[in-house]
Amino acid sequence: MISAQTILFISLGYFALLFLVALFAEKCRRTGTCLLKNSHIYSLSLAVYCTSWTFYGSVGKAATSGLEFLPIYLGPTLIAFTWWFLLRKMVLISKQQNITNIADFLSSRYDRSTVLGAIVTLFAVFGITPYIALQLKAIAHTLEILSSQISVQQDSLNTYASNLPSNIDMAFFVALLLALFGILFGARTLDSSEKHEGLVVAVAFESLVKLIAFIAVGIFVTYGLFDGFVDIFQRFQEQFPERSDLLLLGTEQTPYTKWFTLIILSMMAVMFLPRQFHIMITENTNEQHIKSAMWKFPAYLFLINLFVLPIALGGLIINGGDTSQADYFVLTLPLSTGHPWLALLVFIGGLSASAGMVMVSSVALATMILNHLVMPIILKMNIKALNISGFLINIKRLGIIVVIFIGYFYFKIIGDSYALVNMGLISFAAVTQFAPAVIGGLFWKRANRKAAITGISCGFAIWFYTLLIPAFVRSGWFSSDILENGPYGISLLNPLELFGLYGFDIYTHSLFWSMLFNFAAYLTISFYARQSDDEAIQAAKFVDVFEIEPGYPEKLTRISKAPTIMEFIEFMSKLIGEKAAQRAITEYLSHQDIDTRGSLSDHEIPNLKSFTERTLAGHVGAAPARIILENYLSARGSEMEDVFDIFGTVTINHASSREQLSVLYDTAQIVSSGEDFQKTLDNILELLAQQFKFDLCVIRFLEPESTTLIVKSLIGESSDHFGQFERNLNMETYIGQTFLSNVTTVVNDTEFIDKPLSAQHIKRDKVTCLAHTPIVSNGEPIGVLSAFSKTAKGIFTEEFIALFENIAAQICIAWRNDQQLQKLLQVREQEREMQIAKDIQKGLLPANLPQLDNIAVAGLCVPAHQVGGDYYDFIERDNATYDLIIADVSGHSIGSALIMAETRTFIHARMESTKRPADMLQELNAYFLKDLDRSELFVTMFYLQYNPVNHRLIYSNAGHNTPLLWKKQTQQILTLDGEGLIFGIKRDISFEQKAIDLEPGDVLLLYTDGIIEAESKDGIFFGIERLEKLVAEYSDSEPDELIDQIMTQVRIFTGMRHFNDDVTMVVMNVLK
Amino acid sequence: MKDVQANSIKEAWIISLILGFIMINFPFIHIFNSADPVLGIPKIVLYFFIGWPSSIAVIWFFVRSSKDKPLDKQTVTED
Repeated sequence: MISAQTILFISLGYFALLFLVALFAEKCRRTGTCLLKNSHIYSLSLAVYCTSWTFYGSVGKAATSGLEFLPIYLGPTLIAFTWWFLLRKMVLISKQQNITNIADFLSSRYDRSTVLGAIVTLFAVFGITPYIALQLKAIAHTLEILSSQISVQQDSLNTYASNLPSNIDMAFFVALLLALFGILFGARTLDSSEKHEGLVVAVAFESLVKLIAFIAVGIFVTYGLFDGFVDIFQRFQEQFPERSDLLLLGTEQTPYTKWFTLIILSMMAVMFLPRQFHIMITENTNEQHIKSAMWKFPAYLFLINLFVLPIALGGLIINGGDTSQADYFVLTLPLSTGHPWLALLVFIGGLSASAGMVMVSSVALATMILNHLVMPIILKMNIKALNISGFLINIKRLGIIVVIFIGYFYFKIIGDSYALVNMGLISFAAVTQFAPAVIGGLFWKRANRKAAITGISCGFAIWFYTLLIPAFVRSGWFSSDILENGPYGISLLNPLELFGLYGFDIYTHSLFWSMLFNFAAYLTISFYARQSDDEAIQAAKFVDVFEIEPGYPEKLTRISKAPTIMEFIEFMSKLIGEKAAQRAITEYLSHQDIDTRGSLSDHEIPNLKSFTERTLAGHVGAAPARIILENYLSARGSEMEDVFDIFGTVTINHASSREQLSVLYDTAQIVSSGEDFQKTLDNILELLAQQFKFDLCVIRFLEPESTTLIVKSLIGESSDHFGQFERNLNMETYIGQTFLSNVTTVVNDTEFIDKPLSAQHIKRDKVTCLAHTPIVSNGEPIGVLSAFSKTAKGIFTEEFIALFENIAAQICIAWRNDQQLQKLLQVREQEREMQIAKDIQKGLLPANLPQLDNIAVAGLCVPAHQVGGDYYDFIERDNATYDLIIADVSGHSIGSALIMAETRTFIHARMESTKRPADMLQELNAYFLKDLDRSELFVTMFYLQYNPVNHRLIYSNAGHNTPLLWKKQTQQILTLDGEGLIFGIKRDISFEQKAIDLEPGDVLLLYTDGIIEAESKDGIFFGIERLEKLVAEYSDSEPDELIDQIMTQVRIFTGMRHFNDDVTMVVMNVLK
Repeated sequence: MKDVQANSIKEAWIISLILGFIMINFPFIHIFNSADPVLGIPKIVLYFFIGWPSSIAVIWFFVRSSKDKPLDKQTVTED
């Protein structure tokens, strides 16, 4: 016999052992051998799924309802098939985003929503704490059974307890011990994303203990009390033929619909229960562990269920069919057959099952409460404490105590109620409500925050109404009227037959309605509500987590008035403690390039910001982390700004191997070598083919204004079909897909290809693997770089693809260089042509004005650009009269120059036939009417004719600036003007012809508007008055000198050497 | 990046999941729903306790064979 003292001693001893195991694990970590690197420990710790509900309850369930216990373990086995892409995806995302619990996960996916985090936390706490009560109850109850049946002094345990206040019992101490364990090993630091070796290894140890205990009692019953499996089944069927239903499905007890429902519930529960999430995702150290857990965890479930039916049926046979103690057959069978030590082992196994669940759940829930209930309140209250890290960690510890003790009080107050006993499945149904939002969020980018909040809320409302309300009624807390007639007599709202749906068990009914509303709301709102840019990027980070290139445009940003590294550390210290902040930043900086001044570049600061946010998220959850950081930055006046990425996609991190870097370096050398474009491409391909032994490498570029990719360079063997041909763009081929979707395509083994069109070419050329990557300029694909191998398979690793894409980026740089070179050449060619035009135009003006006895003439034309529209001429007629012409064609283009040339040609051609200025203008107008109208240009002209014999000057004006005439005799300036419009406006214009007699010493100045409209810096025109003054002042000078003076003065006036408009002047002095 | 091989592995997992789901649900399960002993053990119990470890074996086999795929391991320079 075992004394009560021994039981107590062994129980306490077991707890001490757990503490030691946990301490040992922590010590191992400090010495550098992390036990979590062991995949067995990960798989075993997952068995925290099996609580006392499994350990004791499965047998009870089997004895009363038959096979109904099985789906709870079949579901997890099934869902394990998805782990390599579902669980691995969740683990990868959680690591990247520092997600530590299911509320964080949902909140983080859906725009880091505070509301969603709070809702999920509330529901989880609501659904899980009664489950904790159930575990405490199992411990208390088994202890009671054990002590009442095996101890000689029956109430010796009570004697220990009698010294305590009456309302405190053993369960209280167990709760206290578990809380202490949770605090010591689950909440030592605030950082939840850190691994908790102690906790996990202890849980794994407990899993091992409970498995050994259960199998021990199973073997004892099957082979000790009976003669093996066959014997038990035979005797059961002989003794209780009326209970053969227990070994069937589709019965009243276990209808197929319920069976189906239980499988679904357990599949979801094993993924989304907070404790499962914590162990599976937060504590995962290596994604390869998932692979081994995929079969080890189901194998564990199989083993722990192997003896459930034998024990249950054996218990029924031994107890004569009495099921009142069925839940504890595991314990009572060894006891009643005189094996107390085995019973004690069973008790320890059950204790392990309960303790593991309570420890992990309390830590997971406490983290959720801190991150999603407490933090938002702290943020709302705007506490400006200097350092709140200590405060926060204590809140987390308090959270663990509170969660466990809520469970304890549940157990004390409603310990035997229906509601508590069925809490296991009810909590499964609760976490199933997370499924649409989690799974949808992993694979569907459009799924958005509003949809998730509404879906989960709808699901929970229905869950509460159809599962909890009936449970409350059956516990006797509500009137049973509501289950019979519905609320207020509305039978359509009967919680068990909602909207008239009847004939199903309570779980199926609840699952159907809750999921229907949950899914409907989630899908509908996702379709119709819009995401913000930020939310869309966050969604893409989840959905595309496996993609190498992010599937979202990586927006480059910089922070204005950015905090320094020291300020970031200071800021983080306040929240997570100085040590943790220093460590995090040091770790971060060790992966960054720091410039010579020891600070981060502008581009790195936004990365540091998101790193800080992620680090904080590991401590306080994603939503609070964002709010805290944004508040901090906005308080400093810092803002995020978009930056234009001038470097394109040429980035490679320092983790790349030496060889890769050297290939990249060589490529860069080729690009910068200055060879012509074709040679550059050929050299790059040669390098690529040589380095990686490709059989064929091709560069294709899109032909402008077509949909065809043209081969630009090719190295290696190729048939006509493969490398040489141009490719039309469509999604039927890999290359088309690469170009159109602007994403690298890799086929590591051409045995498995899904494009028949490509398959033809590939098979013909016996290609074994291939890769295409787009050559992208400013985000738009311009070509494709391809590599093919005919011997190797699977050579395109992720690192290689990063390198491959970088080479494509280098090719793009070469392409851009070439484009710029072409442009430059084009511009040079144009310039050369302009120079020719300029020379020709210059030749059209009179090169040297003749030296005459009776007059002195000088002229100057300075075009504002290479060619201009100003024109002057001096023509000596046969009858010794001189024609002086000045004209201005609007604009300074080639067009103006052509019109100017045309004007000159016309005048020279008509010189013989047209004698009078007015006639010349008339003819010019008629001639130009059409040309000028077409070119939208116009011409002004002043035409003079001087006869030195009679000193008579006749002149006509076609809208030109009026020339100035200095009369020496009167010392006055006259302006010469005549009626007449500019050319190109009207067909029939009569040009007035006037005459004036000149005298020796008179000075005539013809000019264009470039002179008088020359502007000073203040925007004032040079004007006629200044010009008149100059003429008067320098009237005695030579014509050349007058022109020089005017030019000098205008330049002084404008303050510039250069004129904005063409400037032309002609000066004539009458000598005698 | 789109990798055909990774996709085919994923598809294999999904097909197994669907098959497994069918095989433990109505109507398929109805074939084996009998308490009559086969080898001394009720047929349905035998079905589960043979089918279950078999599915675990399938997972084990998949996991083992997917390890040998060059996708994760081989590096370019080895070629």
